[in-house]
Amino acid sequence: MRPTVVSGPWPRLQRAWDIRAACNFIGGGTGTGLILLALAAALGGADWLPALLLGLLFVGFGLTMVLFEIGRPWRALNVFLHPQTSWMTREGVLALPLFGAGVAAAAAEWLGWHGAALAGLSVAAVSAAGFLYCQARILRAARGIPSWREPALTPYILVSGLTEGAGLLAVVHAGAPWASVVLLALLLVRAGVWHHYRETLARRGAPAATLEVLGRLTPRLLAVGHAAPAGLLVAALTLQWPPLAVAAGLVAAGCGWRAKLVLITRAAQTQGFAIPRTPIRGRGTSRTAAKPGWSSQ
Amino acid sequence: MKAIRSNDAKWVPTYCYNCVAGPDLLTVKVENGVATQVRPNFAAEGVHPAAGRVCVKAFGLVQKTYNPNRILTPMRRTNPNKGRDQDPGWTPISWDEALDEITARLKDIRARGLIDEGGYPRVAATFGHGGTPAHYMGTLPAFLSAWGPIDFSFGSGQGVKCTHSEHLYGEYWHRAFTVAADTVNTKYIVSFGSNVEVTGGVCAVWRHADARDRGIKRVQVEPHLSVTGAASAEWVPIKPKTDPAFLFAMINVLLHEHPREALDVAFLRDRTASPYLVGPGGFYLRDPASGKPLMWDTRKGAPVPFDADGAVPALEGRFNVAEAIEHGPDGAVIPHQAVEGTTAFTLTAEEMRGYTPEWASGVCDVAAETIRRVANEYLENASIGATVEVDGQTLPYRPVAVTLGKTVNNGWGAYHACWGRTMLATLVGALEVPGGTLGTTIRLNYPHENRLASVRVGEDGFMAASLNPTDREHWLGKPSGRNAHRTLVPLVGNSSWSQALGPTHLAWMFLRDAPEGWPRPTFPELWFFYRTNPAIAFWDTRQLSDIMAQMPFVVAFAYTQDETNYMADILLPDATDLESTQLIRMGGTKFVEQHWEHQGVALRFPAVEPEGEARDLTWIAGELARRCGLQDRYNRALNRGAGCMPLKGEKFDFSLAEDREYAVDEIWDRVCKAATAAFSDGTEVHGLDWFKENGFFVVPFKRIDWYLTPTMIEKGLRYELPYQERLFRVGKELTTRMREAGHHWWDGQLEEYEPIPRWHDFPGMWTKTLAKMGGDPADFPLWGITTKVMQYTTGNNAAIQLMHEVAGNVRGVGRVMLHTGTARKLGIRRGDLVEVRSITGVTRGEAEPVEGIRPDTVVIPGQFDHWATPYARDLGYPSLNTVAPLSLDLTDSTGSGADVVLVSVRKIGEAAQ
Amino acid sequence: MTRYVMVADLRRCVGCQTCTAACKHANATPPGVMWRKVVDIEVGSYPDVQRVFVPTGCQHCDDPPCVSVCPSTASAKRADGFVTIDYDICIGCGYCMTACPYEARYKVDEAAWAYGDKAMRHEAMRFDERKVGVAQKCTFCVDTVDAGLAQGLTPGVDPDATPACVNSCISRAMTFGDLDDPDSNVSKLLRENRHFRMHEDAGTGPGFYYLWDREELPL
Repeated sequence: MRPTVVSGPWPRLQRAWDIRAACNFIGGGTGTGLILLALAAALGGADWLPALLLGLLFVGFGLTMVLFEIGRPWRALNVFLHPQTSWMTREGVLALPLFGAGVAAAAAEWLGWHGAALAGLSVAAVSAAGFLYCQARILRAARGIPSWREPALTPYILVSGLTEGAGLLAVVHAGAPWASVVLLALLLVRAGVWHHYRETLARRGAPAATLEVLGRLTPRLLAVGHAAPAGLLVAALTLQWPPLAVAAGLVAAGCGWRAKLVLITRAAQTQGFAIPRTPIRGRGTSRTAAKPGWSSQ
Repeated sequence: MKAIRSNDAKWVPTYCYNCVAGPDLLTVKVENGVATQVRPNFAAEGVHPAAGRVCVKAFGLVQKTYNPNRILTPMRRTNPNKGRDQDPGWTPISWDEALDEITARLKDIRARGLIDEGGYPRVAATFGHGGTPAHYMGTLPAFLSAWGPIDFSFGSGQGVKCTHSEHLYGEYWHRAFTVAADTVNTKYIVSFGSNVEVTGGVCAVWRHADARDRGIKRVQVEPHLSVTGAASAEWVPIKPKTDPAFLFAMINVLLHEHPREALDVAFLRDRTASPYLVGPGGFYLRDPASGKPLMWDTRKGAPVPFDADGAVPALEGRFNVAEAIEHGPDGAVIPHQAVEGTTAFTLTAEEMRGYTPEWASGVCDVAAETIRRVANEYLENASIGATVEVDGQTLPYRPVAVTLGKTVNNGWGAYHACWGRTMLATLVGALEVPGGTLGTTIRLNYPHENRLASVRVGEDGFMAASLNPTDREHWLGKPSGRNAHRTLVPLVGNSSWSQALGPTHLAWMFLRDAPEGWPRPTFPELWFFYRTNPAIAFWDTRQLSDIMAQMPFVVAFAYTQDETNYMADILLPDATDLESTQLIRMGGTKFVEQHWEHQGVALRFPAVEPEGEARDLTWIAGELARRCGLQDRYNRALNRGAGCMPLKGEKFDFSLAEDREYAVDEIWDRVCKAATAAFSDGTEVHGLDWFKENGFFVVPFKRIDWYLTPTMIEKGLRYELPYQERLFRVGKELTTRMREAGHHWWDGQLEEYEPIPRWHDFPGMWTKTLAKMGGDPADFPLWGITTKVMQYTTGNNAAIQLMHEVAGNVRGVGRVMLHTGTARKLGIRRGDLVEVRSITGVTRGEAEPVEGIRPDTVVIPGQFDHWATPYARDLGYPSLNTVAPLSLDLTDSTGSGADVVLVSVRKIGEAAQ
Repeated sequence: MTRYVMVADLRRCVGCQTCTAACKHANATPPGVMWRKVVDIEVGSYPDVQRVFVPTGCQHCDDPPCVSVCPSTASAKRADGFVTIDYDICIGCGYCMTACPYEARYKVDEAAWAYGDKAMRHEAMRFDERKVGVAQKCTFCVDTVDAGLAQGLTPGVDPDATPACVNSCISRAMTFGDLDDPDSNVSKLLRENRHFRMHEDAGTGPGFYYLWDREELPL
């Protein structure tokens, strides 16, 4: 029954969003990635419908999880009230054409209306791109969480969404070499933007606890989430053995999800409290002060 | 549930006296009969020194009222066995049943005699910190008075949790039961562990903040960076229990590194015993005819009695006196011919010569240059020669002060610290003058409410002192109370407060284990207590609980179940702070840092109806008096003033008829009227109803009355400093008495009666005692100390959730603080579970490594480790009290012990994620 | 124009948490929710260490990140400086909590009581269901200020138009008033003293100033 003691100026783990919110970034990223790649597949003449449907499923899953997170779910429609500045409103707004056009495209394809289907898919994909961008900007606008507000996180969220989508695309299109190539390329880019994100965050200064969590995550993320699937993909392409590509896809997506879960629920320390100077008590002295619990200024 | 919008809300005035720095004036919002909020009493702006603000504790009063864990009906124990492992088996009973059972016992006691075969009162009582319960117990004091002898010697922390030595020596030297800086006027304070920002109440916090604005420099000398240290200009970490060495070194700098004219020579010469000549026996040389102490008159070149007209005595030097006597112990007169007399000042200067900053540096672990600089800054700021006008009188202006905290002021070394502090004030003439070191209240002399009026002319040009006799004829060889305060501690006197200021731990210790040759005291037949929890607030709390379990019949005024009333036979639920009626005095000068420009009275009355069957203490006291057949004595006590003020004065008479019962409100209505009539000299009379609207009544209090020196001048008196001739004699006499009685267990304490205190290895006493108890000092390498916490201190409120919540923002509360480097060496990180172990006990809690603490010190704030109190028992907070031993060896001659214990710390669990 | 701000004098504050408790009383916040609190910050290393007590809470920023991220417009900024929350619109997404660099916002998802399952009488009486599942934070006691203004009182001067924390402060460390009025108490304090705002580099323009030294006035 003992309540948590909250003393101290140190950054502490944010308590607003938990795994349910993380699921939205996971579902939203993977889903929009899939939908964008579905359009690419369509333009390349490949089968795109499974990717679209799976993508919609993922985005829907994410949004459903959010519904469980918010305190007043029956007021959920209020989310649309602030498009002027809120990336969350914008995300919500874009979900409408995303689903509308996505479902329409699927229906048209089913009905054999290929032209209309492609048009619908295009609209859904553009919406998905916007949706994904909104997700990246949602984190950037969370100015209380240094690891989220870091602009270098934006490219990571975008690339990781595509990579997670590509991972599942490799599963859906098991054995299609082009899917493996796309995933391989995205894995390389994702490793790069992750590295860039971490470096930038550390350079600019962040809560030590955040950097510690990210520091523990990174070797595993790079080895298991990038090097291993890349190796599998190269092997799959060389040996032309599709199960390897499927495995690589699942690992690449799964590690992206894991990284997001860590980002949202563990590497998410607050700014903490800090003062630039100490006060002069009577005839005492003032000194400059550091940020408690931070890696550097 | 919908929010209820109240249309029946009002703010009612009351007071908070949860600590000695009260009362704070507040108002309580009452909505539809429910207390909902507390806020300051803004009407007190301009009256109360902190503009009617209340400290954080007062905000706990609403929860205190509605705490679901309250005991709300009288209870009887059904399990005859007592102990921590025995469920009391409480069963509710009616008030009639409870009072009948208690009264039957009381009447039986009265029938057999109030004093038992051992010579001790059969009834004993214990009340909480510093007299605070008196501000809630209504007319219970009238019942106590009506009853007769009661043993108050079972302490709840007195002597170890207060500023004990200051109480005794401060009141002896300058009517200063508590000592404060004249904060509103001073410029420089050296504070040795005094934590006024935590324990000084709102008045202290307010006026120190103003002083900082004004540009004061306060240097905090303390082993850890307390709140007061934080709010000071400088923090000087010092090894625990070495403060007297720092003080002596400051005295050394003043005496031996500056020309004499740099000191306040006139004050030393005219207002102290500095010029008194001391003979070879260590006593004053006296005029053989009059017996008066001699001084060397520089005009005549001859010795003269201290009060000789027109004499200009020599402050320093050695002089040949043709004929003189010394007054030794037990009336011994030592005649001298052609004897050399040395002024008390010279003896002091010589005694202090060796205590250089370089010497002190090795003792205190503080750089010599720091000590020297602080001493020089002190002298520089003293502005010797400056004057200031107060209420039309010109007084010296000496804006420097030295203040002492609890652990500095308790146990071994405390006498030396008190003397050092008072001497520093004396050397620069800063004692009891504007800007200097002041007393605030008195408790060992009368009248309690006016320390200036307590100054009576005594022997040798000094104030009369109220010492317990040590001469063969009058010494109380057979103690009147179980802590033997009148037998062992001459300085504590025999006022209504004295017994509880005696060595109160001895009462507990002797019940278990009396020293050789000392008769083991009897258990009191009936022990009752109110607003206190000694099973948490004292030391070696497990042992204390075991002793409590052996008390034959225990009556507890109970708020919730707690660790002490777990051993009770009857629980009586009393109406709490917001539920009961009382009028108390306020203002003037009072505990800690209260210097008001007003004085008067404040009322507390039921803002809300009492919960359950809880009853007002005034009702309970009246019932007990009536049922015991003491109505007349009870009413007479009330008429004499046991309920705040005498009911009859020159211009008013609101006396109670002696044979009649009065309702609670009727009694307080009369007290209100008497108080207002007394304060207004009969011009204003206000009853209870008026107070319910207005809350308080005040009249002006003159600022000049903050200072004792004008009274000393008016009465031609000198401060009994620097030389302690009288105490030296008293010590000799007491030594003889104890030897004659065959007691040697107090010998160490008797050595403390030095006329000029000398440094002893005080920290070493702890090491030696540890070794004597069978411990290896190497196994306990850290100094365990404690520090008070404003949210909790003296509030007996560990069960209040709000206090826990807000105290969580203060570092270290509920934790074990240690230095980051020490923690690193021990592999301890923030939040790890650690065990603090002493030779007698173990306490556990989370670690909080900090930079602001000496690497050899561990601080455990507050007093916790509850195991019975609902809510508090779930906190898992550590407590120094659990591991501090009750030890005769660590008790000083005033009967006090310090919150210091040698400990080890080890990690026993990882921090929760 | 009017811009209400808070000024905390760090030289005076002693970290006693009286304001914290007073705020909890005035606003009937549930256990664990402290709209106002004082943070205890240690600076330096032994033996050269200082400790600073920093009152904090919603900073009522000029450019409040909580308002811009809010998807529902429940969080809003008034022209006179107050950042407000409309409990009837808020969806309780918690986004504002992550946007605030001052950890000022709270959300409780169910009624909570000081002693376990059952509300005490005063808790039951003051319980406001509207605050469950939505964001909450320091309001600068906007209702008190508005009611006081309606009666012609001066915020920061008259207790009945002044936030509870300021009213309660036992070291007179906190002052509330109108920054745009050059004669106000806060304007005077800021003119005469050196000050900073917390996390000023976050660019939020906090309406909470900390005094740390006297301003060296021109000779």
